[in-house]
Amino acid sequence: MTPSLSQVLKHRQDELLEHWLRDLSQTSSDGSFSSAHPELIEPLRELFYVLMTQLDQAASREISLATDQPSRLEREQQTALEPPLKQLVAEQARLQRSLSDTLGFLLYLKHLLFKALFAAADQAVEERSILWLDHCFEQIARQTFDLALAQRDRYISEQSISIMELSTPVLRLWHQILLLPLVGVIDTGRARQITDHLLEAIAKYEARVTVIDLTGVPIIDTSVAQHIMKTIDAARLLGSRVVLTGISPEGAQTLTKLGIRFGDVISRASLRAGIAEALLITGKRIAAMEASPR
Amino acid sequence: MNEPAPAERIAIRSHNDIVTARHAAREHSARLGFGRAYQTRLATAVSELTRNVIQYAGEGSCLIEEHADEDGCSIRVSVEDHGPGIPDLALALADGFSTSGGLGAGLPGTRRLVDHFQISSEPGLTRVVISIRKAR
Ligand SMILES: Nc1ncnc2c1ncn2[C@@H]1O[C@H](COP(=O)(O)OP(=O)(O)O)[C@@H](O)[C@H]1O
Ligand SMILES: [Mg+2]
Repeated sequence: MTPSLSQVLKHRQDELLEHWLRDLSQTSSDGSFSSAHPELIEPLRELFYVLMTQLDQAASREISLATDQPSRLEREQQTALEPPLKQLVAEQARLQRSLSDTLGFLLYLKHLLFKALFAAADQAVEERSILWLDHCFEQIARQTFDLALAQRDRYISEQSISIMELSTPVLRLWHQILLLPLVGVIDTGRARQITDHLLEAIAKYEARVTVIDLTGVPIIDTSVAQHIMKTIDAARLLGSRVVLTGISPEGAQTLTKLGIRFGDVISRASLRAGIAEALLITGKRIAAMEASPR
Repeated sequence: MNEPAPAERIAIRSHNDIVTARHAAREHSARLGFGRAYQTRLATAVSELTRNVIQYAGEGSCLIEEHADEDGCSIRVSVEDHGPGIPDLALALADGFSTSGGLGAGLPGTRRLVDHFQISSEPGLTRVVISIRKAR
C-alpha cells in the first residue's frame, strides 16, 4: 500500500476534481489541449469518479501487484473505465474535437495527481508508486485511443451503409409502376441490398411494372450482369414485369460480345421510352391535354 | 492523337482496384483516340480479367501499355497473378463454364471483345494479354 497515494485519492478528490475541471475550461498554456466544451463537463466528472475508484482499489492491492496477475487487474480496470471513456470519446467526436484533446485532458489529470502526490508526501514518494501510476495512465491513454478508433470505424461503416441506401432508392413512379435507378458500382453487397429494397417495394405497392434504369452504371461486365439478372428474376417472381432502360449503344454492343442476354425483358434505350412502355403495360398513356374551348 | 504515355502498373488486391484498373484502361484508350465503343470494350475486358484475379487468385497485377507507330496505335493490357492457375484452358474458354457459379462468360467474352487475346496458365502463374488496335 502506498500511504501517500491512497491518502491523496481519498481526501483530496474533490479538490482535485475542481482543479482539473477549472483548468480544462481554458486552453492549456503549453498547447497540450484546447478548452473542453461545456457539454463535456458531465462526462469528465463521471469519468473522474470511476477513475478514482479504480485507482484507489488498485492502489490498495498494489503491493501484491507483482505476484498477482497484473493483467487481470488491468482488465477489471478497463472494464470499469470503458463506459465513461466511451461516452467522453463519443461526445468529443460529436463536438468535432480532436482525440489529442481528449488525451490531453487525461494526461493533465495525471499531472495534477502527481503534483498532489508530491505535495502530500511527508516522506519521499516511492519510485514504485510513481511508475505504477504512470503505467495506469498509459493504459488509460491506450484504451482511449482504441475506443476512439473503434468509434471512428463504426462511424465510417455507418456512413457507407447510409450512402449505399441513399444510392439505391426505389421510386414509386406511378400507380403500380416502380423506378429503380442504378448508379455506380454494383458489387455483391449492394446488389443484394438493391434486390431486397426492390422486392419490399414491389410487395408494398403491388407493382406490376418495374423500370430498372442503368444509365448510371459505368460498366456492365458479366458479374454486374449476373446481379441484374438475379434482380430481374426476383422481381418477376413477385409478379412484376421488368423494363430495362439506359443501356448505352456501346454497352449493348459489349453485352452482345460477352454473349449476355437479359432473358425476356423489355429493353428501351431511354428512360423516357421505358416509362412510356411501363404506362402502356398498365393501360395508361401520357397524352396532351385536350385543347380547351375559348 | 497523343504521344504514347508511359506504362502504368496497377496492383490488384481488392475490389476497388478493379475499378481503378478499368478506369485507367478507359483513360488510356481515350487518350490515344479510341472511340467510346472501343473504350467500353477494353474497360469491360479489364474488369473481367481483374475480377478473375481477385476471385480466383486473391491478388495480382495489371499492366497497361500504349504503343504507336506509323501504321497506328494500340493498347496492350497484361493481367497476371500467382494463384492456382487454370487446369484446363480450353474448358475455361468455353462459354458458360464456371467453377464459381458465375456466368462463365468472362474469358470467352473478353476474347471476343478485343483484337488480340493470349492466355497462359500454370500453377503459380496465370497471364492474360489483350490488346486493341486502331489504324492511323
Ligand atoms: N486468374 C484465374 N486463376 C484461376 N482460375 C481462373 C482464373 N480466371 C478464370 N479462372 C477459371 O476459369 C473459369 C471461367 O472464368 P470466367 O470465364 O471469367 O467465368 P466466371 O468468372 O464467371 O466463372 C472460372 O470459373 C475459373 O475456374
Ligand atoms: Mg470471371
